[in-house]
Amino acid sequence: MTDYLLRVAIKMAVTLFAIVTVTFVATRLSGNPIDTFLGEGLTDEGRDALIAYFQLDRSIWHQYVAYLRGVVSGEFGLSFIERRPVTQVVAARLWPSAQLLLASIGLTAAVSIPLGVLAALYRKSWIGSAVMVVAFSGYAVPNFVLAVVMILTFSYWLNWLPVVGNGTALHFIMPTIAMSGVLIAALTRFTRNAMLDVLGQDFIRTARAKGLPELAVVMRHGLGNAGVTVISVIGLQIASLAAAGSVVVETIFSWPGIGQLLVTAAIMRDYPVLQFGVIAVAVAVVLINAITDVAYALVDPRIRLARS
Amino acid sequence: MFRLLLTTALAAGLAPAAFAQEITVGAGNVAPFLDPGRDHSNVGSQFYFNSFDTLIDRDHSKLEPEWTPALATSWTLIDPTVMELKLREGVSFHNGEAMTADDVVFSLNRMFQATFPPYVVRSKDRLNNFTSAEKIDNYTVRIHAGREEPLWETLVSLQQIMIIPEEYTKALTGDPKVAEDSDFEAFSLAPVGTGPYSVAEFLPGERIVWERFDDFWGDKAPLQRATVVQIAETASRVTALKTGEADIITNVAPDQLSLIDSDPNLKTEGSVTALFHAMIMNANHPALKDPRIRQAMSYAVDRDTLNEALWLGKAVVPSTHTMKEFGDLYMPELTTFEYNPEKAKDLLKEAGYDGGEIVYTSFPTYYTNGLLAAQAIAEMWSAVGINAKVDVQEKWTGRDPQMMARNWSNPMYFADPFGSFGVMWAPGGPSESEGRFNTDEEYAAKWERFRFSTDVEVRKAAYAELMDEIKQDPPVLPLYRPFESWGMKKSVNWAPMPGHIPYVLDFRAGSISLADS
Repeated sequence: MTDYLLRVAIKMAVTLFAIVTVTFVATRLSGNPIDTFLGEGLTDEGRDALIAYFQLDRSIWHQYVAYLRGVVSGEFGLSFIERRPVTQVVAARLWPSAQLLLASIGLTAAVSIPLGVLAALYRKSWIGSAVMVVAFSGYAVPNFVLAVVMILTFSYWLNWLPVVGNGTALHFIMPTIAMSGVLIAALTRFTRNAMLDVLGQDFIRTARAKGLPELAVVMRHGLGNAGVTVISVIGLQIASLAAAGSVVVETIFSWPGIGQLLVTAAIMRDYPVLQFGVIAVAVAVVLINAITDVAYALVDPRIRLARS
Repeated sequence: MFRLLLTTALAAGLAPAAFAQEITVGAGNVAPFLDPGRDHSNVGSQFYFNSFDTLIDRDHSKLEPEWTPALATSWTLIDPTVMELKLREGVSFHNGEAMTADDVVFSLNRMFQATFPPYVVRSKDRLNNFTSAEKIDNYTVRIHAGREEPLWETLVSLQQIMIIPEEYTKALTGDPKVAEDSDFEAFSLAPVGTGPYSVAEFLPGERIVWERFDDFWGDKAPLQRATVVQIAETASRVTALKTGEADIITNVAPDQLSLIDSDPNLKTEGSVTALFHAMIMNANHPALKDPRIRQAMSYAVDRDTLNEALWLGKAVVPSTHTMKEFGDLYMPELTTFEYNPEKAKDLLKEAGYDGGEIVYTSFPTYYTNGLLAAQAIAEMWSAVGINAKVDVQEKWTGRDPQMMARNWSNPMYFADPFGSFGVMWAPGGPSESEGRFNTDEEYAAKWERFRFSTDVEVRKAAYAELMDEIKQDPPVLPLYRPFESWGMKKSVNWAPMPGHIPYVLDFRAGSISLADS
């Protein structure tokens, strides 16, 4: 297991270095910040003064070295726009995003695993079909449509739920559902398929033959083995959501999260925020993947043994 | 039952707010920093008036300037280039420090003799004629101008020279005796002024909380607390107003007005904003070098139709680059811009227009109706025979030599043509610096007379000549002054005041009251 953990750690480090460099290059390729965040209507004199002040007149190598030094020493600089350390800017926004993400993952797991199992067990009856219809409609409805329909219904007409920010538990309801719609669809389908695969295996027949109650067969032997697939799907989905999936939902609900921050930083070419924000998200994603890898190994001894 | 519980919970949460004279504003944007000196954005201008004071102020209930004492109680010109101001005694900053001449001199010189680059920019484009401020005694200061200044009160009342505390600012970082760049950076996150509301909390781009400042020198603030929350999405802002999460919302698009007005508990207030949405044209683009092409592009645009279609006829279409707010310098009699499609066709013919593509660039989230106007303008161009195309770009392209035409805005930074047309179209100013507008000695001479003559009639005549230059060789077409709207609960008595620059959220005494009180 130690070997395995070391391997995961090395993989993480290489991935992070690649991300740090790619982020730097990509932000520089994406356009000149002088034409975006410095704004319009500047005289030459004023523009030159600002370019020098923000150190945008330095060569690309100088900027890269300064940036690497910053990454190593934990000094990521000031946001071009907000004028405070980017670590503060990003940190303030990470937790609200993480909360929303965890809530969505929780809701998704709570809804789609039982639904997936149900759909697998009753695949030939109307119950299985009904579950799959619901799951597919989740795919078909984009999160912003779901969000707006919920806002219209529960806030605009019924006045039951708040729409702005993350102040109370009530604030979580609509954004969490909006974020989870597609996830629930995906995970229900994966759980169903994984269960169908497993339930057709010989060891399930053996379990039944030795007289185990059906519930134990399904839960311990069925879901226990389908779990690997389910975990990997959850891991992948978290990664994609953490990276960008929450932008629309955060904007609609004025959720002070990182998705909205990064999009604004990208549009305004706020390099320091963009760089640190991407790195922070990347670290989160890499960590999640590592945790997923470890979780695999814990759930499935074959993976643990095969890799060591 | 669930609904009952929720409504009760919501009502319990909101009712005390109303009685305690608290409001929440849902704003389309909250500023990324708060420093009146470096800022001249339409987002920032919302927030300074509640927390900061100028030396001289004006009666904001009136459209035309009527100067009133603020942190200065009196002012006299002791020489054509020197103004002496007597300061108000007993004024406190929000941090408890007393305001003296030192703070005033510090605040003024941070702009007049700017070294911090963001201040340098603002200092150059509007305060260039002021050389220094000087302390005479604890409550007397003098401002020195390089040459005779026709706009003393106007410029001394600018947002950029609102008064900030010297000691507090210098002590924010590094050496507490020296004003470093980092002090000004830090100030913009922890601003302190003398106004009726202190900034109790500021989360850039997210939230500003104002609290009543009990030691304010003037009439006490009518609200105990006002919170501005950024709600970027228009539909969410309108919903927040409906659910009671916001008492006032900003930037209501024209097509949302009826939605709010049809609710018995809500209303809208609006005004014609003191800024122009404008179309700019690149005089140095090879395809547009012939002024007749640009004249045709301008004559082809039916601005009244744009107003009817996009602004329900509530915007104001100008005949020249002028606004009522300019007082004596308001010159609606000039006809610099007009719609004449026949003339446009003739001019294109005369200029030998070869049917090459003319691109209008627009930035979709730049401002309300910007992209729709771009599409309509392209259609209007096509109608006179221009091969038009709309290009959407998410950045400022005004400095790009390939830019042919695009949307821009010319706000009124202060109530004079210098504060609107002047800031952007001065010789060597931003438009010329960006390489899409040219001036010559003749233009510069007219500009000099307009900018510095102390005779109003001479200024007017010079401005008319400048407008004629713009007409002959057009770099800009002001489309209209947009109609800006705010939505609010019926219990809130607030409306934008005519004497402010655009977008100011003025919650001072006499500007807002709540019916529940």
